[in-house]
Amino acid sequence: MEEIKGAIALIGYGLAAIGPGIGIGIVVGNAIQAMARQPEAAGMARTTMFLGIAFTEALALIGFVLFFIA
Amino acid sequence: MDVLILASESCDPATEIICAPENVIELFEFTEPLFSIGPFDFTRTVVLTFLAMFIVLALLFMGFRKTRVVPTKFGVAMESVVSFVRDDVAKGTIGPDGSKYSPYLLSIFMFILVANLFELTPGINFPLTSRMAIPLMLAVVTWLIFVIVGFAKNGLHYVLDIAWPKSVPLALRWLVGLIELVSVFVLRPITLAVRLFANLVAGHLMLTLLLGSGWIFFAAVGDIGVRSVIGLPWFAFGLLIFVFEFVVAVLQAYIFTLLSAVYIQTSVHPEH
Amino acid sequence: MIQFLAPILVLAEEAVVEESSGIDLLLPESSELIAGIIAFSIIFFFVWKWVIPAADKTLAARQEAITGQLTQAETTKQEAASLLDDYKKQLAQAKSEANTIVENAREAGDALRTDMVGKAEADAESIRVKARSDAAAERDRAATQIKDEVAALSLELAQKVVAGTVDESAQQALVDRYIDDVGNLEA
Repeated sequence: MEEIKGAIALIGYGLAAIGPGIGIGIVVGNAIQAMARQPEAAGMARTTMFLGIAFTEALALIGFVLFFIA
Repeated sequence: MDVLILASESCDPATEIICAPENVIELFEFTEPLFSIGPFDFTRTVVLTFLAMFIVLALLFMGFRKTRVVPTKFGVAMESVVSFVRDDVAKGTIGPDGSKYSPYLLSIFMFILVANLFELTPGINFPLTSRMAIPLMLAVVTWLIFVIVGFAKNGLHYVLDIAWPKSVPLALRWLVGLIELVSVFVLRPITLAVRLFANLVAGHLMLTLLLGSGWIFFAAVGDIGVRSVIGLPWFAFGLLIFVFEFVVAVLQAYIFTLLSAVYIQTSVHPEH
Repeated sequence: MIQFLAPILVLAEEAVVEESSGIDLLLPESSELIAGIIAFSIIFFFVWKWVIPAADKTLAARQEAITGQLTQAETTKQEAASLLDDYKKQLAQAKSEANTIVENAREAGDALRTDMVGKAEADAESIRVKARSDAAAERDRAATQIKDEVAALSLELAQKVVAGTVDESAQQALVDRYIDDVGNLEA
């Protein structure tokens, strides 16, 4: 471990971005499915989608912050 | 400005393939004041903040200067922005009494939009929202609004309902309550600010890296000859990102506004 | 936080230097914060006190104008409809008048024609009658003349042929019979 040099925080951020990446994909995919099934509820689905993305993305954003702090 | 910073770095286009700035922080911090009034230093960022303010005021003033029955094209654009924020975002998210919050939502939308689009404005090329001050300030204002509205509408039940959710089984209730408390009162404002900040920082870095590299390789054509072709893909990719960043700038302004509205809505009707 | 994480990650010496500037990016500059607060407050008060009321006023004015225009359009439509009715009525009246006029003209023409035909027929009849009487008179005159001439001729002839054997009365009888024959032939 003494030999590790360079921006190790980059690896941490990369790891932190995996989960939210998959999560946002699932959220948006399901939101599109909901919109396609019920176009009349598209507005509600879109708002809820953004909310879901916001919650999921929070993890990636915390990782982003830690990248700067670390 | 950023291109000049990049060029001043010790980047040798004869040997390197891409010119990355050595210290990223220098792309975002303008510490030397352009001028000072009393103890207050006007750095470039501060001047740009007031420039953004004047642009927002001018746009809104031009759009609604006269009560035109037959609007101009510009008037239609401004009216559609106002009706979008008020009808779609405020009323659509918060409910019928949402138009009360439309002045705030319209202000943040316009301010963030102009501050974001500074990223793509030739001659400025610097998104104000890539400085933590603006997103954090707006996120704290949103936080204050939804906390105050929550207490005003629901009293102490506002916090108790979050910390002690009745719909969750008793065994897990304290844990969910704790997570919810942190999520609502700590993570919401932080993520709101950091989302905007991170998007614009990333966009600005990409644009500076790609367009700056392209520019350096093109400019060094006299010294390195054919090697300056390397600048071509960087420049082309940079232009692609430029268009993409336009979408990001508008989308992030929309998302910040929408999430502010959603957070206010959860305080107005906490049962949802 | 930094002191807590640094020993765990065992970062190199240069990286530690960049750490401090890294967190600088996340912390708001106080001058920018003050500028942002001032700028945003001005925008918010401008939007709150001026833009939203102006937008409301514009929308209200437009709504009023559109309502007014719709009402006006309705009255105009009604006016146009009544005008159209008037025109239709006038047109119908004009048509019936024209019909009457044409009818009258036809009757007058008919009368005129009947009149003229009658007159022409009467004229023709009178001309025919006159011609016939003229012809009859001419024939009578010719017959008389022929009778006289034939009488004289036959007398002369007879005198020449039978020179004196025939007396005056017998000769006259002969001539009369001949004339009658001629008249019968002629009739």
